[in-house]
Amino acid sequence: MRTKLLATVISIGVLGGASLEALAQAKPDVLVKQRQAAMTLQGKYLGPIGAMMKGAAPYNADVVALNATFLENLARMPWDGFDASTKGEKSKAKPEVFTDTAKFKAAADTLEAETAKLGAAARAKNEAGVRAAFGGVAKACGSCHDGFREK
Amino acid sequence: MGAGETQVKVWDAPVRLFHWLLVLLFAFMFFTGKSGSDWMEWHMRAGYAILALVLFRILWGFAGSTHARFSSFLSGPSACIECLKHLLARKPSPYPGHNPLGGWMVLVLLLALLFQAGTGMFANDDLLSEGPLAALVSKATSDQLTVFHVWNFNLLLLLAGVHLAAVLYHAGLMKENLIGAMFTGVKRLPADAAGGVATRFASPWLALVLLAVAAFAVYLIVKRPF
Repeated sequence: MRTKLLATVISIGVLGGASLEALAQAKPDVLVKQRQAAMTLQGKYLGPIGAMMKGAAPYNADVVALNATFLENLARMPWDGFDASTKGEKSKAKPEVFTDTAKFKAAADTLEAETAKLGAAARAKNEAGVRAAFGGVAKACGSCHDGFREK
Repeated sequence: MGAGETQVKVWDAPVRLFHWLLVLLFAFMFFTGKSGSDWMEWHMRAGYAILALVLFRILWGFAGSTHARFSSFLSGPSACIECLKHLLARKPSPYPGHNPLGGWMVLVLLLALLFQAGTGMFANDDLLSEGPLAALVSKATSDQLTVFHVWNFNLLLLLAGVHLAAVLYHAGLMKENLIGAMFTGVKRLPADAAGGVATRFASPWLALVLLAVAAFAVYLIVKRPF
């Protein structure tokens, strides 16, 4: 009786482990969706700050703090979606993403660092700091798009 | 000047100014289009200027001086074949204004520029800039029009290259200085060709009024005050 129970527990454990492993392997098309969603959301939360920086909308420190904090977290989300398994998927990622990985990693790190600065200044309600950090974020977005994204 | 040649003024000042402003702005658009978000604001402003110029040139093609008018330089297939024979034989040009092939090139270039400006109005750079009409369409539509904007620019580069090659062909192999003529307005022509069409020059004041109309039309498109 005991051995039977033990065998059941072990087999459930093994099966469960196998299925967990399968779940851990996100499918390539899901990975593409993941990074595109992260990019879409970054654009969504960057846009209003950009409008304020250009003077197209009045400066609102609360909105900036919320959006910059989202942005800071979203900036960390796309990268594990650029898995080698997604090379054949339809997307705007240039092949350089997978060939020039060191440079791509550096570009990703730059975005994370710049959005962290923006988030810190925004939460401190430091408008001058936000304005200073914003340029760095925009530059990080743009330079990575130029090198690693098809038009 | 060779024997049997005469100097004739064919290009009015508005046509010449249009041409060279367009060249400068086109180079500026090339640079700012490739330089990323820092220059996008200026890319759009220069784009509005180009659209105003092109709209003016279309109006001028109906109301301008003789050789500025579409009716004077758009001709049928037989005239184009005749023109091609002339060019291949390197015979002196019998056309005071645009030759029939060049005339069609003018129209194609204007239409391609119009398409470029039109798609640019709806384009976005997936960053902080979007055309003034992009808000009217979905992101997917804006993305698609952005792709057309990029493709059509390559077409424009190709057309500009063909245009330049044709002008250099005239200069190098036919000894016809079309570039100088676009600065001075004066062309050297065989005596028998110059008399063919009497050139009537339209008032530069009319050109200014039409330019103002074109600029106002662009203002309405960009700002949509209504």
